Amino acid sequence: MKPPAFDYVAATSVDMAVAALAAAGSEAKIIAGGQSLMPMLNFRLIRPSVLVDINGIAALAYIEEAASGICVGALTRHYQLETSAVIGRHFPVLSCAMTHVAHLAIRNRGTIGGSLSHADPAAELPMLALLLDASLHIASASGTRTIAARDFFLDALTVDLASADILTAIVLPKLPPRTGWGFEEVARRHGDFALAAVAATLTVADDAISHARIALTGVGPTPLRAAEAEALLPGHPLDASLVGRAIEAARTAIAPETDLHASSDYRRHLAGVLTGRALAAAWRRAQTSAA
Amino acid sequence: MNDATEIHARPKIVGARIKRTEDPRLLTGRGAFTDDRQPARVVHAAFRRSDQSHARIRAIDCAAARAAPGVIAVLTAGDLSDVKPLIAASRMANYHATPILPLAHGKVRYVGEPVVGVIAESRYQAEDALELIGIDYEPLPTVIDPEQAVRADAPLLHEKAGTNVLVAREFKHGDAEAALASAPVRVAGRFRMHRKTPVAIEARACLAEYDAASEALTLYSATQVPGIVSDAVAAALGLAGHQVRVVAPDVGGGFGGKGSLYPEEIFVCAAARRLGRPVKWTADRMEDLTANSQGFDEIADAELALDGDGRIVALRADVIGDVGAYSIYPWTAALEPVQVVSFLPGPYRVANYHGRVRGVATSKAPLGPYRGVGRPISTFVMERLMDMAAAKLGLDAKEIRLRNLVADSELPYKVASGIVWDKSGFHECLHAACAAIDYDAMRGRQKNGRAAGRWIGIGMASYAELTGIGSRISVAPGMPLNTGTETAIISIDPTGAVTAAFGVASHGQGLETTLAQVVAEHLGVRIEDIRIVQGDSAAIGAGSTGTYASRSMVLAGGAATLAAQAVRDKVLNAASHLLEAAAADLVAEDGTISVVGTDRRITFAEVAHAVYLDTVRLPPEARDELAATRTYDPVFGTTTSATHIAAVEIDPETYEIRIDRFVVAEDCGKLVNPLIVDGQVHGGVAQGIGAALYEEVIYDEQGQINTASLVDYLVPSACEIPPLHVVHLESSSPTTLGGFRGMGEGGTIGAPAALANAIADALSPLGIDINELPATPERLFRLIEAAKAKAKTKT
Amino acid sequence: MNKAHDIAVTVNGAVHEAAVEPRLLLADFLRHTLGLTGTHVGCEHGVCGACTVLVDGDSARSCLMLAVQADGKRVETVESLGRIGQMNALQESFHKHHALQCGFCTPGMLMTATDLLKKYPLATDDDIRQGLSGNLCRCTGYEHIVRAIRAVVGK
Repeated sequence: MKPPAFDYVAATSVDMAVAALAAAGSEAKIIAGGQSLMPMLNFRLIRPSVLVDINGIAALAYIEEAASGICVGALTRHYQLETSAVIGRHFPVLSCAMTHVAHLAIRNRGTIGGSLSHADPAAELPMLALLLDASLHIASASGTRTIAARDFFLDALTVDLASADILTAIVLPKLPPRTGWGFEEVARRHGDFALAAVAATLTVADDAISHARIALTGVGPTPLRAAEAEALLPGHPLDASLVGRAIEAARTAIAPETDLHASSDYRRHLAGVLTGRALAAAWRRAQTSAA
Repeated sequence: MNDATEIHARPKIVGARIKRTEDPRLLTGRGAFTDDRQPARVVHAAFRRSDQSHARIRAIDCAAARAAPGVIAVLTAGDLSDVKPLIAASRMANYHATPILPLAHGKVRYVGEPVVGVIAESRYQAEDALELIGIDYEPLPTVIDPEQAVRADAPLLHEKAGTNVLVAREFKHGDAEAALASAPVRVAGRFRMHRKTPVAIEARACLAEYDAASEALTLYSATQVPGIVSDAVAAALGLAGHQVRVVAPDVGGGFGGKGSLYPEEIFVCAAARRLGRPVKWTADRMEDLTANSQGFDEIADAELALDGDGRIVALRADVIGDVGAYSIYPWTAALEPVQVVSFLPGPYRVANYHGRVRGVATSKAPLGPYRGVGRPISTFVMERLMDMAAAKLGLDAKEIRLRNLVADSELPYKVASGIVWDKSGFHECLHAACAAIDYDAMRGRQKNGRAAGRWIGIGMASYAELTGIGSRISVAPGMPLNTGTETAIISIDPTGAVTAAFGVASHGQGLETTLAQVVAEHLGVRIEDIRIVQGDSAAIGAGSTGTYASRSMVLAGGAATLAAQAVRDKVLNAASHLLEAAAADLVAEDGTISVVGTDRRITFAEVAHAVYLDTVRLPPEARDELAATRTYDPVFGTTTSATHIAAVEIDPETYEIRIDRFVVAEDCGKLVNPLIVDGQVHGGVAQGIGAALYEEVIYDEQGQINTASLVDYLVPSACEIPPLHVVHLESSSPTTLGGFRGMGEGGTIGAPAALANAIADALSPLGIDINELPATPERLFRLIEAAKAKAKTKT
Repeated sequence: MNKAHDIAVTVNGAVHEAAVEPRLLLADFLRHTLGLTGTHVGCEHGVCGACTVLVDGDSARSCLMLAVQADGKRVETVESLGRIGQMNALQESFHKHHALQCGFCTPGMLMTATDLLKKYPLATDDDIRQGLSGNLCRCTGYEHIVRAIRAVVGK
């Protein structure tokens, strides 16, 4: 399983990378961590004429805290996210999710930019980007733009990126105080893509939920926020009946696929179970979290 | 004071936990695997494989491929018409052989079958050229579902056979039908074990070098059976045996998947001879998952009848084995399916038995040996039936087995199919496994857990197998192939160093070390004085085939014992002259021969020096070459048995299965190296867990394989395998030299059945039977949803 | 298309210069160009872990890297851990605990374990198993591998 032939450009700056992409037309591919791209190349599922390697653009790997949010460079490796104290402090749900991402060797190379751009329907990071209302910064030869995560994921393995675009940064707005989180995943083996996964945050005020977010992955062509389920929660404490209704709403909102490993019905079933568990965990954590 | 005989009889090295001699090179990256060899001017092969499951080949256009950069040759079946087909012939009645050629001829019969071979300067260029080949196929009716393929009106994969049923066998003992009809208790089921593939981490590889000047062909191959491959290559290429040498270097796992002859091996040999350059082919993982031999694909309709006390009165089974597109060479398509029915009664008293099996061809990779070969399925079926019967009778799972396992006093016991169990601890293994897992406490824990709504299950499986089988029982039924003997050639050279050559071919089981332990023990030298030669068809004569069927320790170990003792006698004879003592007063140990009760001693090196060089020191009758060749035939072989017990917990909402405890109590005879025995059991159980919960080769209705990557064919990782607890009952086999038993396959034989029973036990409050493996969360979801729906309609 | 690139890669402490086509996998560069056959290829799609090496100190699957990407980098393979007769503590522990059978997954296991021991406390055996989940072994059932690594944690 050897790759087909291609040309190769090692970019040392974003300008150089976007110029190389523009020059090659639609036949170019960016290689960052390569953990998703290389298997596709080795299976000869894709045949780019040129690979533009952006691993040399050191300026794209950083985790920086600003007043309103955390800015993560697109080339930041999964292992850096997993072990970042800043991420641990502000987004423990993301730290937890990272431990489910594949295996150490893949986390050493894989990048957040690559994972979001690849948009595997069962990957954890696209779901987390939705959960955290991330905004994505994109550069191209014609300039830069920003897009909300909720507008970025279009279909399975399909995102709002032109062939000459590069994702450069991901901004994660800080969560309000008294926000608890939950992360639940079922996979066939440790580190595999999720059969279904749910990430949730609940912000509480005066013993009631003030703000709820529920995101799912593995249960449709793209990750999604369960908006109808979220809308049921504010103004109430989390009790069994409310959880039950949120579960029903989440189950109704999704259109899971059937594949070798799980049927649509089973995925829908899991989505319900994991939504309940994630909400319960988020509620518990919200009770004990700092104001 | 101990005399020499006593000292020699006391084992010191056999039985010791010696660190392996293979390890230093393997740990430091200095192993020599087939793909590691890079001879001068080597070229690389790649295969264009069929993407049709059943089609006539109308035309092949290789022009563009031949002109591609780096390409040296592009070969089709027509270019290799001088290569003779290999036929797994057998005297079995109701058997149809199917010729095997290096490349598909006339038609293709499974997706993945090699059609065109490209040879280029690099594998990269060869794969580029594959894409330039045009093949015009005329699709033929698909033959995928074995239960359809078995019908008289099914489309035929092999027209000459006139049927897809390549093999049919029946075993009858007593009158099962009558006993079933009158039995007070009957349990039955349709059992389905889905197809597996061995997935050795080293995929197959072979490298052929042909020296035209001396007309000598050397094939390096990641094979378990260099002796078999050597004979096959000679036959296919019209060469004399002494023109062919097959070497299995370091081999990265086999599990049976490297235990057959493969078309690619013949191809690289024919190509090397034709092109005058070494030709190497290394399978990639996609090729491994699509074209390696597969295993465990069986459907069994089975019924067990018992009396009111839970004692078995009859067993009946009708089995269909899906043997894939060809009858594998040399074992034949009968290998796995027949063992499902011949071993079905297991270690139990079964007076009336009727077992029928048909092996049916379909468009899948050929079925070949995979660890356990039929017995994982027979054990799954029988052990599920036993638990179903226990439930019906209100008996504990352990109790029903105690009432039916053949007792020590009844051994040797002839099974309904003619297999004979010699002395082996069936009851002892069951008791030992229950003690190891603290069975009664586990049942108590289960009761409490169930009351709290937890789905906890305990499942056990008892089995027996035949290992180390000799000439009286062939591994390849009815085939002209000697699997019943192995030979050892042991010699001491003028420096006193020992070389011991065998025809076995270790691929993980540490035979370099364990055979050295046996030789060291019986010859009287140290392990480090011995060089073990194995896996090389030129280093050993005829009568050696390789490593498979849990035979190497018994057969090669037996031969090693005989040869080592013979050489030691010669050494002592010479030493007796040099030490001026009677040979009976001499002890050979750790490379030194000494006179018992004195400090007079001499080294092996000194004896060798006298025998070969400084010959004046010895009379002619004491200068016999310090070498011996011995062949060992255990004749029947020996029984190995075990009980596996699994404790599982199932998440009552997600249906994920967690294995909390797994215990094996096994009787594998005299242990040569306990570390290695443990390792073999662990590895076998891990593959059994894979077979029970994760692994399935999936073909769709068009015969396209859906599991062509390791993302889809799920091999368990360290997280999916629990800690494993192994108890050894070391009862020496009464029938084999050294008391050894084979034990490489037991893990896969017992584990799937134990897990199926544990899961069924966990789900028994829902009335669910587990009769299909792998038991995936998806399958559990379907079963549980159906059970819940059924429960709703009842209320 | 496919123009060769000049690269200089430090492998096990020695600088190697070569002209390689961009598509040459790092695993094949190590094995066939440099003759360091200790790194094994098991799947070429990043699942089995047999090809694991260290790149600038971090474990990486060499079947998912291109040789050109190793230009200017420091690669360590299993051959850097020790020699016959002079193995490192991790290798000796594998040897003592019978943590290998056929040996084909072993180099990848050793390189992964080397990185795990640096990066994680591995307080429990479950932690070790999770760390090894990207390295498939078909022979050992993992039991002895976990024991071998447990024996060197914290040393």
